[in-house]
Amino acid sequence: MTPTEKLATELMLKFGDSVLTQQQTADEVATFWVAKTHILPVLAYLKKESPEPFPLLYDLFALDERSRSDHKTYPSKDFTVVYHLLSFKRNQFIRLKIALKGEYPSAQTLTHLWPSASWYEREVYDMFGIRFEGHPHLQRILMPLTWQGHPLRKEHPARATEMGPFKLWDEKVDTEQDALQFKPEQWGLQRHSDDADFMFLNIGPQHPGTHGVLRIILQLDGEDIIDAVPDIGFHHRGAEKMGERQSWHTYIPYTDRIDYLGGVMNNLAYLLAVEKLAGIEVPDRVKVIRVMMCEFFRIASHLVWYGTFAQDLGQLSPVFYMFTDREKIFDIVEAITGGRMHPNWFRIGGVAQDLPNGWDKMVAEFIAYFPKRLKEYHNMVMRNSIFKARTVGIGIYTLEEAIEWGVTGPGLRACGLEWDMRKKQPYSGYENFEFDIPIAQNGDCYDRAVVREQEMIQSLRIIEQCLKHMPEGPYKSDNSHATPPLKKNTMQDIETLINHFLNVSWGPVIPKGEAMSCIEATKGWNSYYMVSDGNTSPYRSRIRTPSFPHMQMLPYISKGYTVADLLSILGSMDYVLADIDR
Amino acid sequence: MLLLEQLPVNYAPVAFQFFVAVGFVVVTMLATHLIGPKRKTSDKLTPFESGVEVQGNARHPMSVKYFLVAILFVLFDVEVIFMYPWAVNFRELGILGMLEMFTFMIFLLLGFIYIIKKGALNWE
Amino acid sequence: MSETLNYWLVIVGILFVLLNIAAFLIWVERRMLALWQDRLGPNRAGPFGLLIILADTLKLFFKEDWIPPFADRHVFVIAPAVIVISVLLSFAIIPFAPAIQIVDLNIGLLFFLGMSSLGVYSIVLGGWASNNKYSLLGALRGASQMISYEVFMGLSLMGVVMLSGSFSLRTIVEAQKDYWFVLLQPVGFVIFFIAGIAETHRLPFDIPEAESELVAGFHSEYSGMKFGMFFIGEYLGITLISSITVALFFGGWLGPAFLPPLAWFAIKTAGFILFFILLRASLPRPRYDQLMEYGWKILLPLTLLNLLVTGGIILFLNQP
Repeated sequence: MTPTEKLATELMLKFGDSVLTQQQTADEVATFWVAKTHILPVLAYLKKESPEPFPLLYDLFALDERSRSDHKTYPSKDFTVVYHLLSFKRNQFIRLKIALKGEYPSAQTLTHLWPSASWYEREVYDMFGIRFEGHPHLQRILMPLTWQGHPLRKEHPARATEMGPFKLWDEKVDTEQDALQFKPEQWGLQRHSDDADFMFLNIGPQHPGTHGVLRIILQLDGEDIIDAVPDIGFHHRGAEKMGERQSWHTYIPYTDRIDYLGGVMNNLAYLLAVEKLAGIEVPDRVKVIRVMMCEFFRIASHLVWYGTFAQDLGQLSPVFYMFTDREKIFDIVEAITGGRMHPNWFRIGGVAQDLPNGWDKMVAEFIAYFPKRLKEYHNMVMRNSIFKARTVGIGIYTLEEAIEWGVTGPGLRACGLEWDMRKKQPYSGYENFEFDIPIAQNGDCYDRAVVREQEMIQSLRIIEQCLKHMPEGPYKSDNSHATPPLKKNTMQDIETLINHFLNVSWGPVIPKGEAMSCIEATKGWNSYYMVSDGNTSPYRSRIRTPSFPHMQMLPYISKGYTVADLLSILGSMDYVLADIDR
Repeated sequence: MLLLEQLPVNYAPVAFQFFVAVGFVVVTMLATHLIGPKRKTSDKLTPFESGVEVQGNARHPMSVKYFLVAILFVLFDVEVIFMYPWAVNFRELGILGMLEMFTFMIFLLLGFIYIIKKGALNWE
Repeated sequence: MSETLNYWLVIVGILFVLLNIAAFLIWVERRMLALWQDRLGPNRAGPFGLLIILADTLKLFFKEDWIPPFADRHVFVIAPAVIVISVLLSFAIIPFAPAIQIVDLNIGLLFFLGMSSLGVYSIVLGGWASNNKYSLLGALRGASQMISYEVFMGLSLMGVVMLSGSFSLRTIVEAQKDYWFVLLQPVGFVIFFIAGIAETHRLPFDIPEAESELVAGFHSEYSGMKFGMFFIGEYLGITLISSITVALFFGGWLGPAFLPPLAWFAIKTAGFILFFILLRASLPRPRYDQLMEYGWKILLPLTLLNLLVTGGIILFLNQP
């Protein structure tokens, strides 16, 4: 019995056919339609009562089904809300869906089951206008409060040219500023304590410590943080909406810019989902090239984090050394891909070109050069006693809290859970590599730093194995859905010829279905959930980014600390705003 | 110059120095006041708070957590000053002076240990 | 009358040199930081980028002299003046060389301590007058920092006073003919230097400014030459603390005869200034309650202990 069948049996026994209907998807994640009225009991069962529970709310999002060409499929619906849960015991995802009818439907909130559902539900409300009954603070989250309409609804325009010219006249500035004013009462915050006034201080959007346009409103008693309210969305570019008007192929460069420090790692997450839909199995050489590039970007991203973290704590120099090393990585990336931060180099079914001559020499040089530097940084930063004083015991969360809030990646491993998607649910051939999963026990800022520092060493190990065992072979799959398909095959089989023609005239056409990928990205787990209704562009592209739930947790872990500690916590979190806002 | 002549001879240069320092500051600030441009824009009229309009006023009753430490500071600073004259004369005061100062310091340290035990310095 | 004229000349001369040093330090710091951080630093204007000093000064002069309408006008203007004036006054008692000293006060050291305590007013007043929340937090941090190091700052110098038997800096320098006091007072030196860094608000103790936390802390709202005053005040402060350290612990102008005394003084002071810059290049910033705890719980008892041990040893050795 497969895990999916086992899960289906368990749920059917408990709830019966009337509540659950199973659906087949391209990614083999157990998928069930749940009657709208029964979603809460099912979720509560899965979280708490099931013998092998699903404690992590991995993702929550919606689809506008109204113009889907295959929307006749069961059940009838106008909107769908999708829940992704993960079980650590089973090492398995589950996907639950509820069907909603009506123009502006509503569903029940999950916030009492998972605190992390709050932001996800706000996002669904913001993007689709679906209301969640009982949500403590259902307000727009990514779009400005003054926005008209809900962008991911199909009737909402996708291009600026459909909306009339943008003008920012004075009154509009005033309305926007008014909307930005923070009203403590709305968030249930007091303005005064018994003997003093609280100070409400904006950290951001224009602040050197936030690493981007993030706004955190602090409720301060002296310099002690009583509460914090993150305000995100300043970096929102509508990446999911863009997916709906880009072709499957031309969407790749947009993914580069989601976690803009992760480069091609974003391509990989997207392509894994698309390749599942298209049924493409990529050649070994492609897998190893992809792994190598991803690990280079992991090191590059961690170096940026390392340097800026030290700088947040007032240490000015490390960031310069680390950016110098990052340049060395970019030199290799540039030699191989031609690009640097956003190479847009992976393709559906392969990579853009084969590795250039002499790539192995460059990589070998870096492998010889980098460990010495890491040791130096370790002495400079990690062993510095002031650095330790600023990070040890600051911003602690336990493993249970981390799972409750949807923390993934290094932040999760810093709490002592040895869980790395590259090992647990290997993709792109990670099962063939030898590497360790660094963990730490205390879940404080220092431990998160320890984990990331060790990860760089492991990444280097993986790159070394790539270098030594790079397989020979093609750099693109000969599957006819590969984009663009191999030219030599077009003269041989009609499928490839048709696809090549479609590719050139419209863009690739990906078979109907839905699939999710999940990779261990630089900052945590990154997923693309792609829905195809057999068209030249995705019907829906959902991007699950790690930074989003991490930022949601900020108020919870920063209460009781000081403004200075907030910077340690933010720095150790390792987020990028583009990853939060998409 | 009358004022200067009344000062003890030693301090006249200090007064000179003071005038020169003030002169430098005033001249510099006046010069930049005169030659700098004057442009008024509405953005300059509000305090900087990360690009969002300021809420409320910066001047309001707020809690200063280290208030107790500040009071202790005043006490200690006064007590510590007694050591200055002793330090400069301690050769003349000899063993006896040393013992007296020793006693004084023990009292000081006792007080110090007391406030640490009381947790007055832990204001987190 | 010629004596008065002489005073003026010496004072104006020293002031002129000091201000030039402060301006020069801007370039030195940027070049040294760049060197330690594998960068180039300012290298375009003039030879080695030296004219950047001129360019920076001119820029500050031609900036708008802006007093925000929400600020307290008078305090806002006075605050930056306080730091420059108090630091410049402190220089009056520094013996640069046997013949170059504005005045040899018999309470020189006390005068220095008094003047340096005034410096913190600049931060507190500036931060409060700005009526900006970051500045206010910066001002509060400045005050907290002051009460963490002031107690032991003076006390750490008492060992030197006991050795030389005087508050006069000239006497103290001359008392170091045989050996520098840093050899006899290593603990006192280290503690004083830590307090001195806190006094100048340099990294690792730039807590009131804390770029990444409070934007620029107490001087967020300052611009033009008023900001320039804080800037000059900081560099003058570095020079002052370095000079005092040299005079008290490193034998001041004393040195082998092949160089003039002033050169010895300048070389030693320059060494400490570079050390200040090196600290900025290498250390992170502690939290302000950590500094307070460090000052009160570790450095204060250590200073008292140092005093007792010093006194005991001197009396023991001097026994008839």
